[in-house]
Amino acid sequence: MTERGDFMARVRSALGRSGASRPSRVPADTAFSRDVGDVSRRAWAVLEDASERSAELMADLEGSASTAGWKVARAGSPEEAAAYVRSVAVDVEARTVVRSAHDVLARMEVDAALDRAGIATHTMTLAGNDLDAERRALREIAIHAGLGVTGVDYAVAETGSVVLLARSEVSRLPALLPPTYVAIVERGRVLPSLDELFTLRRDEFYLDNLGSYMNIITGPSRTADIGQTLVTGVHGPGDVHMVLLE
Amino acid sequence: MDLKTRAFRKGAASAIADPVVQRNMQGLYDNFHKGRERAGDATPGWEALRDRARAVKAHTIEHLDHYLEMAASNVERAGGSVFFAEDADSATRYVLDVAKARGVRTVIKSKSMLSEEMGLNGHLERAGIEPVETDLGEYLIQLRGETPYHIIAPAVHLSQDQVSDLLQEKLGGPRYDRAEELTAAARSELRGKFIEADMGITGANFLVAETGTLVLVTNEGNGRMCTSMPRVHVAIMGMEKVVPSMEDMGMFLRLLIRSATGQRLSSYVTMVNGPRRGDDVDGPEEFHLVIVDNGRSKMLADPDLREALYCLRCGACLNSCPVYRKVGGHSYGWVYSGPIGAVVSPLLTSLPDAKDLPYASSLCGACREACPVRIDIPRMLLHLRSDLAEGGRHSGARRASPVEWLMMKAWRLTVGRPSMLRLAARLGRVVQRPLAKDGRLRSLPSPLSGWTRHRTFPTIAARSFRDRWQDGLRDD
Repeated sequence: MTERGDFMARVRSALGRSGASRPSRVPADTAFSRDVGDVSRRAWAVLEDASERSAELMADLEGSASTAGWKVARAGSPEEAAAYVRSVAVDVEARTVVRSAHDVLARMEVDAALDRAGIATHTMTLAGNDLDAERRALREIAIHAGLGVTGVDYAVAETGSVVLLARSEVSRLPALLPPTYVAIVERGRVLPSLDELFTLRRDEFYLDNLGSYMNIITGPSRTADIGQTLVTGVHGPGDVHMVLLE
Repeated sequence: MDLKTRAFRKGAASAIADPVVQRNMQGLYDNFHKGRERAGDATPGWEALRDRARAVKAHTIEHLDHYLEMAASNVERAGGSVFFAEDADSATRYVLDVAKARGVRTVIKSKSMLSEEMGLNGHLERAGIEPVETDLGEYLIQLRGETPYHIIAPAVHLSQDQVSDLLQEKLGGPRYDRAEELTAAARSELRGKFIEADMGITGANFLVAETGTLVLVTNEGNGRMCTSMPRVHVAIMGMEKVVPSMEDMGMFLRLLIRSATGQRLSSYVTMVNGPRRGDDVDGPEEFHLVIVDNGRSKMLADPDLREALYCLRCGACLNSCPVYRKVGGHSYGWVYSGPIGAVVSPLLTSLPDAKDLPYASSLCGACREACPVRIDIPRMLLHLRSDLAEGGRHSGARRASPVEWLMMKAWRLTVGRPSMLRLAARLGRVVQRPLAKDGRLRSLPSPLSGWTRHRTFPTIAARSFRDRWQDGLRDD
């Protein structure tokens, strides 16, 4: 028997069974019991609700995000959002900025705005020629960048969080390596709570679109491991900004 | 990891006598325990959430094989490798084999209690591979060559002063006094390790069976580093960490994090589905998941102890426990401390070698009250005590103390018959005469001496209550 077979046999014998178990009835307590065919209908309802109540959810997020330690700013236009990013970059004296390839950043023309302040921006995306060499180069740039900027896939009003799904346009690093991070949250992307987020994620799994990696980010990196004193900015960014874009 | 459970009393006595430890333990209560209470009160439907999570864990554990198979096949479909390890040795061999095959020289690690069970750092070092703990608390105790003091706050016993000394000694440079400076010094030292490491090793807070998703909860960002920077990511997890559905995660994250630190959500929740995909900008080339039994099937096989596998490892029972807060984490002598440690450590190691642990509790029930999934720890501690006394399955069918067992048996015979009790009392009045002073017994001879070490006993009264009752309760 294989190691896996032995393992499962031991588990079954501990449970007092010999053959494989299939739960005859999944209790209603676990969401697993909900009809999978129903997930996409519920996911649609979540997105519709997020769009209909976008103003209210944005206001809720503004409160919870401040509590979680974000510096929250509102921007009435893409230009205003870009100006905010530039002012943060100038404040922290960033020489280089790394950003994701989220559409919203192109709409904001954030590269041009930073360029006017003499700051170079690198978009963390692959050209597709020599992937290994490109990945190494991007990583090196991200390690030395003073500021990271990304759009977000979702935000969560309950907890004051942003959600990033890593993929070809979204690197894992801009929201992780630089000491300062700015997240641009567009109206309509704010979900009421974690439950709606995981309904969407479950739907994305059944659409074969889960991706390899997701982060829910809630405020700055923090620790209280030394003398039980709260300190921000351990390994991730200690200075985090959330721009709510109308 | 070395087993030091036999030294419980000695460890406890030294923690109780240490004012720094006692002050820090009070901090756990003021920060984490009270924070948990506030966070629970602020969460709508908190009590119902606890009931529901308990029911989901119970269901999952009853069908553990089913959900593990489902999880494994989904991880594999996402491009990951899955290895099932019977024990710590087998898990360690797998990790070392992967590390050697990929020419790994430096490993960055995110906090994992299972890795402590395996003594993984020692094995890596002996194989010529440098393991670096990257959770700040875990890093500090690695520098001190110690084990975690608390499930989620491994260095909670150290004062800021001790950390200042430690970092100055190990990193060189000036002596910093402020927590901000000390954290910055550790950050810059560890940044270099994140960049050079070839392999990241993490634990797992949950594994979602339905989607094959590994879930990691951290505050510092080291978990994100370990899953983003190195070429290879290896996750190790106890087999009980599997949960059925992605849509259960809202519930479990709320319960785990709010019970652990009182935060609404930790700074980071990271969800991993296999290695990076073809055109992903970054992420590891390989993802390995090691699912470990290492004695857990013993708990699974005993219906009285099965619920110990519902544990989310939030640490709330430690913070709430009046005994843990006095005796500290190291006196429990193995990986897991506090109330849940007193159940789990003896079962994962050896109950006869850890026979003090089930008694390291006043059975006050604070742990059961604090546990997000309402694990009945006091009931299980009693179960282990009875196993020890009667020589049950976990004691290898041998009574921990045959003398005590004989004495209790004699006690039962005596108090069960009025004639025997009268005879015993008469005997006792004679025997106690040379020991009594001012109506108290101050030092009994061995083997009863323990009863009078810290307190005195009243002497057996000249006339029994029964005799006085028959005489109409008149004073003589």
